[in-house]
Amino acid sequence: MSAVTISGVEKAYGKAQVIHGVSVDIASGEFVILVGPSGCGKSTLLRMIAGLEDISAGEIALDGKVINDVALKSRDIAMVFQNYALYPHMSVRDNMAFALTLKKTDRAEIDAKIARAATILGLQDLLERYPRQLSGGQRQRVAMGRAIVRDPKVFLFDEPLSNLDAKLRVQMRSEIKALHQRLGTTIVYVTHDQVEAMTMADKIVVMNGGVVEQFGAPLDLYDQPANLFVAQFIGSPAMNILQGHATSGGFAAQDGTLFPPRQTGRADVQSAVSYGIRPEHLRISDSGVQAVVEVVEPTGSETLVIAKAGGNTLSALLRERVQIVPGQPVFLAPDLTQIHLFDTRGQRVTSRLQ
Amino acid sequence: MNNGRRHTKKAFPWRRSLWIASLLAPALVVMVLLVLWPLLSAFRLAFYEFNGLQPTGFIGFENFRKVLFEQPYSGWTYNALKHNIIAFVALMVFENGTAFLLAYALLKALPGHRIHQVIVFLPVVLSAVIVGFLWKLFLHPLFGLVNQTLALVGIGAIPWLGNEHTALGSVLFANVWHWLGFPTLVLLAGMQRVSKEVIEAARLDGAGDYVLMTKIIWPLIAPSVTIVTILTFIGSFNWFEIPYVMAGLTGSPGGATDVLGLYFYRTAFGSTTTGIQDFGQGSALAVMMFIIVAGVTAIALRYLRRREIEL
Ligand SMILES: Nc1ncnc2c1ncn2[C@@H]1O[C@H](COP(=O)(O)OP(=O)(O)OP(=O)(O)O)[C@@H](O)[C@H]1O
Ligand SMILES: [Mg+2]
Repeated sequence: MSAVTISGVEKAYGKAQVIHGVSVDIASGEFVILVGPSGCGKSTLLRMIAGLEDISAGEIALDGKVINDVALKSRDIAMVFQNYALYPHMSVRDNMAFALTLKKTDRAEIDAKIARAATILGLQDLLERYPRQLSGGQRQRVAMGRAIVRDPKVFLFDEPLSNLDAKLRVQMRSEIKALHQRLGTTIVYVTHDQVEAMTMADKIVVMNGGVVEQFGAPLDLYDQPANLFVAQFIGSPAMNILQGHATSGGFAAQDGTLFPPRQTGRADVQSAVSYGIRPEHLRISDSGVQAVVEVVEPTGSETLVIAKAGGNTLSALLRERVQIVPGQPVFLAPDLTQIHLFDTRGQRVTSRLQ
Repeated sequence: MNNGRRHTKKAFPWRRSLWIASLLAPALVVMVLLVLWPLLSAFRLAFYEFNGLQPTGFIGFENFRKVLFEQPYSGWTYNALKHNIIAFVALMVFENGTAFLLAYALLKALPGHRIHQVIVFLPVVLSAVIVGFLWKLFLHPLFGLVNQTLALVGIGAIPWLGNEHTALGSVLFANVWHWLGFPTLVLLAGMQRVSKEVIEAARLDGAGDYVLMTKIIWPLIAPSVTIVTILTFIGSFNWFEIPYVMAGLTGSPGGATDVLGLYFYRTAFGSTTTGIQDFGQGSALAVMMFIIVAGVTAIALRYLRRREIEL
């Protein structure tokens, strides 16, 4: 278990700079997830922690000790790859034993560690098999077993679940979380699935274009996105964002449709040019923003309604069963405590009361 | 309910076979005429006595008995065979061993690896005759580049090709220089097929270059190693051009560079210095060379393939 401190890290491939000064403080034992759109530099950052890429500028420290120049074999960091990267010519047992054998661990200890990892991951009956004789989910477990037996300071995962089917992914998600609770090892985990991030992480790092947009606990990111990018990236279905300007009566969208003001609204919200409201914070009511229903998508537990308010498309996620049909006029009422405002630079506008 | 299947597969089995046979026939005819026939006629000639190039009578295994058991022929045969075996072992160790290290270095994509790749492969495109001639010049005892360079550091002239202890080594060296690029490229291609993540995983597991080469890359490039081994074996048992150009038809000095190819050629077609010519014995040698190469290749292929399937 170790703390990872990333300070002002940059990465350039030749002239192309892909990471522009990233700083993240990961406490010992934390489960931190890096999310962001494809190509934003998540894997690159993870590989720099592992030592697979060198660091162009800035520092990465493990328990306060800078590891920029520490050879990767001395870093004591284990990584689980997206395509598992098992050694195809070794049995499951040998795959797990490889690192320990190199460290000249004695046979009895290796066997004990493999037995323990196999029990945790349910691999007892597969130890003599070769990777090609395993299913995707089993390979995934072996890859995790290979990391566990090493008892590393940090686990790194690069999109470990993206090759699994939806059901297995949900199952593995909770297994990894349980594993973390059991071992308590620091985990840095990359995904571009924000649901994975929300459900598993202690802290989330939202990255975009090589910079950190926000770093914090999942619900903090959800409740108080620092900027437009995070607001739209976190949460599914995505937050409704309307462009316009603040008026005395609330917020006027570009087509003139008026949206009610934030409950805590004061003069300082005048700088807002974007108005955000999550679909689950819109209700159908007797009054509010007038809209016409376009699509109704019931999923059983909730109903997604897409409606047009003037020139703006709004989605609303309703808990209660509603009897509405496309073409029907409705009033959509935002939860006034859950309105997010952003200024011209896309930054969150906070009022002093908040 | 099975109608469709019965109709297509069962109804006209005989006509179907005929159709397949008619498709295969032209290729088979060409094979038989151009490959099998010359091969079999060489086999046949090995059992005849010859006067010049004229077969004079069937003598059974007499030609084989002579080249295998009757002096001086048998002595020459075993001397040449020994050199083929030495060549195979030496090429496996030095040529393919170097190729493996070189391929690994190229795989690591150190600065300048592209130009190195080209340089290493360049001699392969030269003809063996040119390479042999070039190295014969370089190794000339007085005027050769090698001895002149050695003279600069105070080492006296060494008659590389004239001394029976250095002659075979020198010829082998020229061969390594000529062919090195080929196994390098084959092994490099094999290494490039090993998943990058597997190599990275091994490095994270604490593997250095040595462990990576022996425990990960070597087992995973088994198919390439099979190809290289078999081709090296065939090459060293059919070895001819470079020893011929560098050391002449008699494998001078004193047979120190003689190989089966040269000995076969001398026996079948004669040489100005030995004077002995026997087409029957030559054919017997050719048949034996063929059997050695084909037999060992077949066995080795089976054995080496088994190693691959275990992956
Ligand atoms: N070896 C390289 N040379 C040049 N550019 C690279 C190299 N590796 C990555 N990049 C660039 O760096 C950027 C970040 O890549 P990275 O793989 O870290 O993205 P990612 O966030 O992991 O994306 P994904 O979700 O698709 O895996 C990309 O724009 C990519 O094109
Ligand atoms: Mg990636």
